[in-house]
Amino acid sequence: MPQASIIVPAYNTAATLTETLASLLSQTHDDFEIIIVDDGSQDETPAIARAHATDPRVRVIRQENRGLAGARNTGIAAARGEFVGFCDADDLWLPEKLATHVRHLQAEPDVAISYSGSAMIDEGGRLMRVRQSPRLRDVTAAHVLKRNPIGNGSAAVMRKSALLDLAYRPAFETKRDWVFDETFRQSEDIECWLRLMLTTDWQIAGVPGLLTRYRIHATGLSAALDRQLQAWERMVDKLRPLNPEFFARHEAAARAYQLRYLARRAVSNLDSQKAWELAQRSASTSARPLIEEPAKTLTTIIAAAALRAVGPASVVQAGRLMRRQTSI
Amino acid sequence: MSKITVLHLVDDTTAGGVMRMLDHLSQLPELADEVHQEVRPVKRTAFSWGSFDADVIVCHIAPGWRCLPAFSALRAMHPTTRLVHVEHSYTRSFTALNVPHKRRFFAMLRVTYSLFDQVIAVSKAQAGWMAERRLAPASKLSVISPQVDLSAVARAAGPVEAARVIGAIGRLEPQKGFDLLIEGFRMCPNPEARLVIFGEGSQRDRLMALAAGDRRIEFRGHADDPAEAYRAVDVVAMPSRWEAYGLVADEARAARRPVIVSMVDGLRDRIGASGVIPCGSDPKAWRKSIEAVLAGTPPVVPVLALKADRSRYAQRWQQVFDPAKRL
Repeated sequence: MPQASIIVPAYNTAATLTETLASLLSQTHDDFEIIIVDDGSQDETPAIARAHATDPRVRVIRQENRGLAGARNTGIAAARGEFVGFCDADDLWLPEKLATHVRHLQAEPDVAISYSGSAMIDEGGRLMRVRQSPRLRDVTAAHVLKRNPIGNGSAAVMRKSALLDLAYRPAFETKRDWVFDETFRQSEDIECWLRLMLTTDWQIAGVPGLLTRYRIHATGLSAALDRQLQAWERMVDKLRPLNPEFFARHEAAARAYQLRYLARRAVSNLDSQKAWELAQRSASTSARPLIEEPAKTLTTIIAAAALRAVGPASVVQAGRLMRRQTSI
Repeated sequence: MSKITVLHLVDDTTAGGVMRMLDHLSQLPELADEVHQEVRPVKRTAFSWGSFDADVIVCHIAPGWRCLPAFSALRAMHPTTRLVHVEHSYTRSFTALNVPHKRRFFAMLRVTYSLFDQVIAVSKAQAGWMAERRLAPASKLSVISPQVDLSAVARAAGPVEAARVIGAIGRLEPQKGFDLLIEGFRMCPNPEARLVIFGEGSQRDRLMALAAGDRRIEFRGHADDPAEAYRAVDVVAMPSRWEAYGLVADEARAARRPVIVSMVDGLRDRIGASGVIPCGSDPKAWRKSIEAVLAGTPPVVPVLALKADRSRYAQRWQQVFDPAKRL
């Protein structure tokens, strides 16, 4: 039995899957399996996945499209490792990532999720100057709700026993348990991590370094940002009954952070109206981001304001400001 | 032969359930000949609780950083006395919901438990959690679930034929999760159904606001006679967010009432027992469980063998108190 399983949810990712798999197959850790879950792709993904299955470490599972959460759940059900990592089929792992997290989880038996920071790459795979350098120690549920230190879907390696503590089976599900809630098409990560924090006594902790390369896709659609906000609100509505006092204390600040994040996304999309609206809503929802992270919050407001006042011509300045902060 | 003297340390924050358990334990006829038990209230956060003359000291006080000096002094002042701690408060779900900095909290518990010769968990689930988090070594850890005198409740009750009245009995505090129950109950359209809530507490106004406008829900305040409360309901609901043991489940079963329990901590120990219906921890799950129990014939809860349970319980404590009986 392999000690670790890396789950690769893949949906129409022919352009990037080979590169992702190459980064996983060159992990320095010597005992792992890769489970590619082809989530009903219509492009060349199945063929690329099959071609890699000649490597004894690689398995491919194909299913009708169930979304990212559904692909991960299928991967978890098939995983044989004591440790389970996730890497989306367009992201990359640095060679020492798995070994680092396995060591960390072995040294800290009360830690369920080990994660690291990420460096962003663009659609062409070029390293951007933006990075995610999250808090690594003393992470509370409030940190997860407000700033989600795990950051993205390819940053975490988890203890399988902790995943099983989260597993449940909806009445209509006939195949296997759910760990991620498949009714979510966005915010499925944060929903799962926060549920872990609110219903179990597992801890989460990070290791230093930017061990993931996380690909940023320019969506450009303000409707996508609205959907993202809706999913986030649904996540909060779902989890609130677990601990109403916790949400009463932290919900407004967390919403302000979420709106600030979306405002920054809108700035990157050059959507001046949306960026301004979101920045304004963030500021009027709670002053916590301004107090806790003044530089980043002010940069967001200035970038949104500049974009609005000068229009796309200010992109360069706004871009510079965003890059000086070099995180999203 | 002189009697073994046992001192139970409690403090003013010790829950009512613990005091009832100690009343019952002190009066067990099975122990009366060999053991002399005393209950001593102390101030939890005092620097030291003093020096006591006893063969065994059983501590029922919830550990915490602020009472660590007193716990340490207890060990220092009684180097040869057998020190036993009963963990009535802390559980996996308690930690999940109340402890932001878990690492520090576990460190505090490990230090505290290391001062004792024996640590008693009040449920198997709690003991499993203590073992998984390495809070106490397996050699020190045992499980004795608390008991109270259930004879009055058992005498007053008979089997339930039809389920119509759901009852919730306990303090109106976030721990008890009555908010989840009220929200779930409100989603059940059945006009005949009733929800009766016995108890007082800090959440009273909030719960009444949640129930406002639904005339099927009634708050009856503190039940002076528990037997009366159980008789007034057909099914008991325990939507607790955490629960080291959960005596209400035993009382409900003694009263031959089916009991719906959330699947947390000590309540997990009861899953599989007759008349115990497990339920998820959100309003929708409660709605489903309530509708199912109202629609069907309620499960029959057999008469509990209270006397046999009691003598097993006495035997377990005898092993704690009497070095000759220890395995």
